[in-house]
Amino acid sequence: MSGIIKLRIEDDGIAWIKMRDEHNKNTFSRNFVEDFLDIMNELESFKDSVRVMVLQGLYDVFCAGADEDTLIALTRGKAVVRDIAISERLINLEFPVIAAVEGHAMGGGLAMATCCDIVVAARESRFGAVFMSMGFTPGMGMTTLLSELVGPYVASEMMFSAKRFRVSELERMGTNINHIVTKIRVLPVAKDIARQIAEKNPKSVRLLKYALSARKKKLLVEARMQEDMMHRISFNYPETLKNIRDAYVK
Amino acid sequence: MTRFEVIEVMKRIIADNLDDMNVDNIDPQKSMKDYGANSLDMIEVVSCSMRELNIKVPRAELAEIQDIDGLADKFMEYIDT
Repeated sequence: MSGIIKLRIEDDGIAWIKMRDEHNKNTFSRNFVEDFLDIMNELESFKDSVRVMVLQGLYDVFCAGADEDTLIALTRGKAVVRDIAISERLINLEFPVIAAVEGHAMGGGLAMATCCDIVVAARESRFGAVFMSMGFTPGMGMTTLLSELVGPYVASEMMFSAKRFRVSELERMGTNINHIVTKIRVLPVAKDIARQIAEKNPKSVRLLKYALSARKKKLLVEARMQEDMMHRISFNYPETLKNIRDAYVK
Repeated sequence: MTRFEVIEVMKRIIADNLDDMNVDNIDPQKSMKDYGANSLDMIEVVSCSMRELNIKVPRAELAEIQDIDGLADKFMEYIDT
């Protein structure tokens, strides 16, 4: 593991996962995805000592989603989207997961937040379902999960427009995000919720998680069927490659 | 559209996109960063401005711009006067 993602399990059973790839600003590089999946394995091996998990990113970027190389490979029909495994693994965790979103959440990074049970977001940051700005359709479960987080109409606007919304704007529009607070309050609020969960009987917490996650698991399966099909088509459009290259101009 | 009008459009969009900003307090000689804008705030201000001005400036041409005045100059190159 390259240390891009750090796992810390506290004595009270709160597992903290920090995505901290400063260099690539938490994009899904090969290392990032491999590390993330390794950490998920590690978490599962410790699962008896974990009661609740908090997922956090960098202070300025929670997670920025796919990197350019992966997207370009997709336009050549090469890679399967291994990023999808991130959504699956998050949704299938057996304990509750809190997203502590201090920085921006873009594309697949926003999808990660939608895979969590509880979301705490910074008012100053931005949420963007940016897929369509590059000419391909959303993935990672976004087409069904985003409406869970922000409501169906706001989700439609976010996906069609690909606009990077300020969280404060989403707050005015009305969403299902649990807490929208100033950035410095994100971690304390997430920690407080985690502590409340951690003091409950972990066996019952797991039982409840199993029941509550059934809907999300189903939504992810539904999303994948459509998203995979739409990706095969939309990544093949000649405009898409050009759009991706333009989007990543440094 | 005059350069003055372009600046007015940008000021309004900047104020919409940043906290606690008043249109009258925006100095075009400053960078949006001076007003606390992060990189995505700036991208959003630029794309929103281009939409409103009905122009499309390639991203590569925007990279070196330092302040709001510079951005207005760049936009003026693309506006049919």
